[in-house]
Amino acid sequence: MKKKIIIVIMCLTFALSVLGLAGCRQTMEPSTSDTSIEPKVTEESAETTGTEEKIKITFMGWGTDAEIATFKEMLAQYETKYPDVEVEYIVVADNEFDTKLQTMIGAGQCPDAFYSHIDRMMKYAVTGNLYDLTDYVENNEIFDPDNVWECLINLYRFDGNMQGSGSIYALPKDVSVFPVFYNVDLFKAAGVTPPTIDNPWDWNDYLEAAKKLTTGEGDNKIYGTGAYSLESAVWSNGAEWVDQETLTKVQIDDPAFIQALQWCADLRLVHGVAPTASETESLSDYDRFKQGKLAMVGAGTWSLADFWANCDFEWDVMNWPVSPNTGKSEIWFGSAGLSVSSTTANPEAACNLIAYLSFNEDAQRTAYTMGQAIPMLKDMAYGEYMNFEKPPASKEVLFDILENHARLATQSRTFNQEWFNEFYSNIDAVFNGEMTAQQYCESIKDTIQQLLDDSNAQKAEYSKSSN
Amino acid sequence: MDCMNARSKDKKGKGKSKLERREGLAGLLFVSPTIIYFIVFFLLPLVVCVYASFTNWNILSPNRIFVGTLNYEKLFMDPKFWKALKNTLFMLIPIPIYITFALLFAYACHKNILGQKVFRAIYYLPYISSIVALTLIWMWLFNSQYGLVNSFLSLFVDNPPSWLSDPFWTKWMIVIMISWKLIGFTSIYYIAALKSIPKSYYEAAQIDGAGPRQQFFKITLPLITPTTFYLLVIGMIGSLQTFVEVQMFAPDGGRGYGVGTIVFYIWQKAFSSSQMGYACAIATVFGLFILVVTVVQFTVSRKWVFEGD
Repeated sequence: MKKKIIIVIMCLTFALSVLGLAGCRQTMEPSTSDTSIEPKVTEESAETTGTEEKIKITFMGWGTDAEIATFKEMLAQYETKYPDVEVEYIVVADNEFDTKLQTMIGAGQCPDAFYSHIDRMMKYAVTGNLYDLTDYVENNEIFDPDNVWECLINLYRFDGNMQGSGSIYALPKDVSVFPVFYNVDLFKAAGVTPPTIDNPWDWNDYLEAAKKLTTGEGDNKIYGTGAYSLESAVWSNGAEWVDQETLTKVQIDDPAFIQALQWCADLRLVHGVAPTASETESLSDYDRFKQGKLAMVGAGTWSLADFWANCDFEWDVMNWPVSPNTGKSEIWFGSAGLSVSSTTANPEAACNLIAYLSFNEDAQRTAYTMGQAIPMLKDMAYGEYMNFEKPPASKEVLFDILENHARLATQSRTFNQEWFNEFYSNIDAVFNGEMTAQQYCESIKDTIQQLLDDSNAQKAEYSKSSN
Repeated sequence: MDCMNARSKDKKGKGKSKLERREGLAGLLFVSPTIIYFIVFFLLPLVVCVYASFTNWNILSPNRIFVGTLNYEKLFMDPKFWKALKNTLFMLIPIPIYITFALLFAYACHKNILGQKVFRAIYYLPYISSIVALTLIWMWLFNSQYGLVNSFLSLFVDNPPSWLSDPFWTKWMIVIMISWKLIGFTSIYYIAALKSIPKSYYEAAQIDGAGPRQQFFKITLPLITPTTFYLLVIGMIGSLQTFVEVQMFAPDGGRGYGVGTIVFYIWQKAFSSSQMGYACAIATVFGLFILVVTVVQFTVSRKWVFEGD
């Protein structure tokens, strides 16, 4: 009798484990045998389309607690507006997001809508995983594309070879500008007058100011500047990492490039107006600024909420100085996008969702009042946001940067960023004074060129294997 | 003995009895969840991995073009792979450290020193704590200006190391951390091993006039060699797969890729660069490497592991 019971139990266990496997089957299939390129419809969405039940769509993103709370709120609003749609919100840690998304795509279970990192959008677009939003943007009921900065929409265009033109594969979830934040109290104490949009600083003015602002010793040491944005220095000086026409030729041995790099390093090495390597390692420039021990730091507008909460001094923003050689100033701008899966069973609902999340006025208002982002709708940016009480006082600087000085970083336009990471991987040698900028750039150029070639080859291979 | 012979003859001869078949079936059913688990989560991925290593699979597009041994050729020419391999071998350093300390600690516990239970709990704590939380704490401990470790070191040296920015020191920090983490876990094995040595051996040795030192080296050490061997094997496999520490301390692999390990590199290639085929090739080669190391360990073990009379 006992034995019979045991056997029955074992049969049940066996049956259960087999059933468990059946559950996995859907995940397993594409990774082992599925080589067709036809859109895969996930079982879940297939079930819901034919019935009168609610349309279910899944939306995956990352974010801080505050952002997640805002998104939950906005999703609820969306569901009220479109009562026939139900959204499942999946939150993943930002450093695991790409891994998770790729695994889900590999398993044929791509979420209907998801965040799309600007550096990686091309990878998903060229492999046919993103829904073409071009028609939707032109004929949608949620926002007016003319009221959004053109550069923001263009950011997510891709023509199969280059970013910036062609079909639209994502809508901007937000836009981040990267100005110089400065401590107004320290500026007043040192008698430094900040630049204005019409009367910008050049590098020499910046250095002079930084010298005046650097005071004290030991624990009371206050530095004039944090690490200077190398991108801004290089681009403003008329140099490029990679030629902008074809994105195939590394140009880091250009004298203008080397000069810019050396200038950034010399702020620390020669002039002593920026924290040393070990000081930066112990306390980042960003945190040092928050503690009032650093007068000027480059930071993104995503830091606004943090600065509101944690800076007990007055602060404002300014433009990056112009290069004395060219008279121009450039800096990158960032954005995270929202994309729709090409395999979604409900493209309309998914497109409406991302448009709603991106451009809904309430959402935009929530985002800027919470200090997460600046508005992307022009009328709101130049209207109510200008009268918004919280700092920065010079809000117009942010939009001046966005309209006149901001560009998409070169590494975001190449297929992968390995060449760029490699450039930075040993840059400390220059900033610690172990190598000059010239020595460094010459020593690493061939390696970088090789990695860029690999990146371009990979893009070609991807488009080939997907067509 | 006769009975067993008869039984095995019976097996070869007439085939299994009904009872035996039933028992065999029940046995199979009992192990089936494990077997299925093994096949689904280990064997199948392994086969897929080896297959994918001969393709240009990028995980995002369903197409996989067969590229022959291209990935393997690329691998041997890839300087980052060799750097990662060197860094990985560096992670073997903690093994002798924590095994020695764990043995000493277990020996002390075995000798019933005061408060041993408290110590045991304290030593075991790191093993059950979240590695991410631990890493964050260690980042503060090893902060070059404000960290406790460097405050202490600055009493003796002028320029304590920059633990987090100099890859050489980052690797040593990981070595220290792994050692610290595994002492407690390892000592549990040793405590069990020490308890299993019959007291009579020591009594006999005492009668023969052996001192504590001789007893330790002639009785204790040889009799716990199976445990030491086991710990060496799993320690080596574990060390070679170091990943989280690298991801936390040097998210980009460190300056000049001075910290990135093989598993970290595989992960980067698979998911950051979307070169799943290439990542699979690295994984296959590295899997074979671990296999060879383990086989060598087993072969050599015959010379020094005591397996009873």
